[in-house]
Amino acid sequence: MSKILGIDLGTTNSAMAVIESGEPKIIENKEGARTTPSIVAVSKTGDRLVGLLAKRQSVTNPKNTLFSIKRLIGRKFSDMEVKRDKEWLPYDLKEAANSGVEIKLQDKWHRPEEISAMVLQKMKHDAEDKLGQKITEAVITVPAYFDDSQRKATQAAGEIAGLKVRRILNEPTAAALAYGFNKKKDEKIVVYDFGGGTFDLSVLEVTADTIEVKAVGGDTHLGGDDFDQKIIKWIAGEFKKDQGIDLSKDTLALQRLKEAAEKAKHELSTTPETEINLPFITSDESGPKHLVIRFTRAKLEELVGDMIARSVEITRSVVKDSGFALSDIDEVILVGGQTRMPAINEAVKKLFNKEPNKSINPDEVVAIGAAVQAGILQGEVKDVLLLDVTPLSLGIETLGGVMTKIIEKNTTVPTAKTQIFSTAADSQTSVEVHVLQGEREMAHDNKTLARFILDGIPPSPRGMPQVEVTFDIDANGVLSVKAKDKATAKEQSVRIEASTSLSKEEVEKMKKDAELHAEEDRKKREAVDIKNTADTLVYTAEKALRDAGDKVPADVKSDIETKIKELASVKSGDDIAAIKRASQELSNVLQKIGEHLYKQSSGGTGSPSGEKDDNVKEAEFKEKPKEE
Amino acid sequence: MPENSQNNNISAVDAKENSEDGNIILAKCEKEKKEYLEGWQRAKADHINYRKDEAKRFEDMARFVTAGLLQDVLPVLDSFELAFRSSPLSSSGFQQNDERGMLLIRSQLLDLLKKRGLEEIKVNAGNTFDPEMHESIGEIESEHASGSIAEEVQKGYYFMGKVLRPARVRLAKSK
Repeated sequence: MSKILGIDLGTTNSAMAVIESGEPKIIENKEGARTTPSIVAVSKTGDRLVGLLAKRQSVTNPKNTLFSIKRLIGRKFSDMEVKRDKEWLPYDLKEAANSGVEIKLQDKWHRPEEISAMVLQKMKHDAEDKLGQKITEAVITVPAYFDDSQRKATQAAGEIAGLKVRRILNEPTAAALAYGFNKKKDEKIVVYDFGGGTFDLSVLEVTADTIEVKAVGGDTHLGGDDFDQKIIKWIAGEFKKDQGIDLSKDTLALQRLKEAAEKAKHELSTTPETEINLPFITSDESGPKHLVIRFTRAKLEELVGDMIARSVEITRSVVKDSGFALSDIDEVILVGGQTRMPAINEAVKKLFNKEPNKSINPDEVVAIGAAVQAGILQGEVKDVLLLDVTPLSLGIETLGGVMTKIIEKNTTVPTAKTQIFSTAADSQTSVEVHVLQGEREMAHDNKTLARFILDGIPPSPRGMPQVEVTFDIDANGVLSVKAKDKATAKEQSVRIEASTSLSKEEVEKMKKDAELHAEEDRKKREAVDIKNTADTLVYTAEKALRDAGDKVPADVKSDIETKIKELASVKSGDDIAAIKRASQELSNVLQKIGEHLYKQSSGGTGSPSGEKDDNVKEAEFKEKPKEE
Repeated sequence: MPENSQNNNISAVDAKENSEDGNIILAKCEKEKKEYLEGWQRAKADHINYRKDEAKRFEDMARFVTAGLLQDVLPVLDSFELAFRSSPLSSSGFQQNDERGMLLIRSQLLDLLKKRGLEEIKVNAGNTFDPEMHESIGEIESEHASGSIAEEVQKGYYFMGKVLRPARVRLAKSK
């Protein structure tokens, strides 16, 4: 089955996405970019160029480079908007026979939908190349305020490009779909879309199975490009004040300035201050001139503050039009590259008193949503094979009462994981497997699912036996835990039917608890880890002394013995700093054994002391309780 | 006997019904088996393909990261170009030795970037303008054919064979 392409046909840039293995994915164009400029041109040599290539020759070919076609599509020539845009658009427009708009490209007059079709066609071809399959159907997004004629014209553009348009989708609705908000009943959503050239605000309401647009508004001539222009103007102004040279006539200098301004704008999203540094920006009789200007976030916000304030004003009034109060709004979604600016994020957050959704790339969220809609139409999102995930982590208790996770939360089931553990004491012949569920670091804070004992382990030094523990969850959420001693192949297992049958509330509570106690748990866990390490160190030191015998001078030996005693006396206490210190001191003196042994064998090829099997995990079982 | 035969008949009917039921169940099982096997095969294939894609994505990511870094370095190369263009040992205050030092620093940087896959786009005046690798930023009068490249204003670069940044050029317009 061929895929349905989701297309965000934008005023300045377009993007596309499809559903792949159930997930929406942006498709790069032939040039390797995730967005394609919505520009069409016929070059002086007569070639038709679309996208980036059209943009690259726009300066010297303004009459035959068409952009912002979305401003004209489906409109009447007599529309106020068209009249206003005609003033500044460099290409020729005229009234068509059906009172629509026609645009001149070279010697031919075209309807706007034919021009948009050229952009769509390129995207279709690029997607076909990337995916290796024919694309015949698409979902195309339009602004929520588009009227019937604009929607029909957009649909026609798709058909001209050879695409069956399965759905014309509202851009804000697409954004809501991308975030999966269609599943949340009775929610009120605001989509704040600050693009390159336009600002759109929409209020949506999710009802039983539809997303309804309650109110729309915006400014068709307010966008990120205006921000860039303000910055460029300010920098050029500062330079003129400083050096007396006007850069606005020098195209290369302006180009460099524009790039630096864009870069600075992005940098100021993460740092409070940046430096614009353009050496050799120009020159006069006295020699080359350099441009170095400190640019702060505060200055940027001062420059564009009125534009942000305007967007906030529009937002306020559109929400009012929708009949809701600002406090009624459940979710706010940020769309458009400009919303990366912290000042905008702050302004929106302050207005609604809640953190806006911005985890999906704001340049791509609409295309992603279009793909989600395509997936619904295609039936791919509605997967027959619904796979569950484990809501909480599963693991066992190990030395010191810590929980060692074996299957992490949100792992898709069915799944199986195996880890190897060992004993904590010499000659330990049995281990207790304490199966736990939860996110807390310490075993006793989590839920006990089962306990069982594996015995018959041949007596051996601690750390030697290898006990393989396997957690297996089947598709129905039934958990089987098996422990097997690798030496004797003896095994024990348990089946837990209800490992995933916790109620949603229980799961949420357990997750919240984990978050709440994260810091305190981390400290406890750290303390246990330090104690465990100290314990191992004492054991290793004693063993090393025994093994080395009289090859170690008496003074070194007694020194080590003292340090062992010191550590042994503090290690079961609660003074973590003391344990750390004593551990450090012991491991320092311990190294002397090695030194002496090496000295004696004068560079012999002995293996380093403290051999360890890498396959054996450090975490160890706690000893079987005595009474068992 | 008749009773018996009747009994036999009944059990024959039963058997027939049973076998019909059995056939239905079998057919259903067959259908399900096919469905499950296909689902399993598909899932396994998806996984294998995903792993392959993932490897490619990793490669792309590495390339993307390097390209991003190179893109940030290009303005430095531009500044070097501009420095040499604007300072032919004259009034600019550059001493010959300074300039040589600067040249060496630039070639040091260029060598390093070349090793990472950066390559200059060669542009000559009179070349045909090609938006695949050139970007026009203006026109000037020139002896070259109208619409062809009159001069290069800023160097363009390839990275691993793809255009990282087009060369910025001015086009010739007839006098």
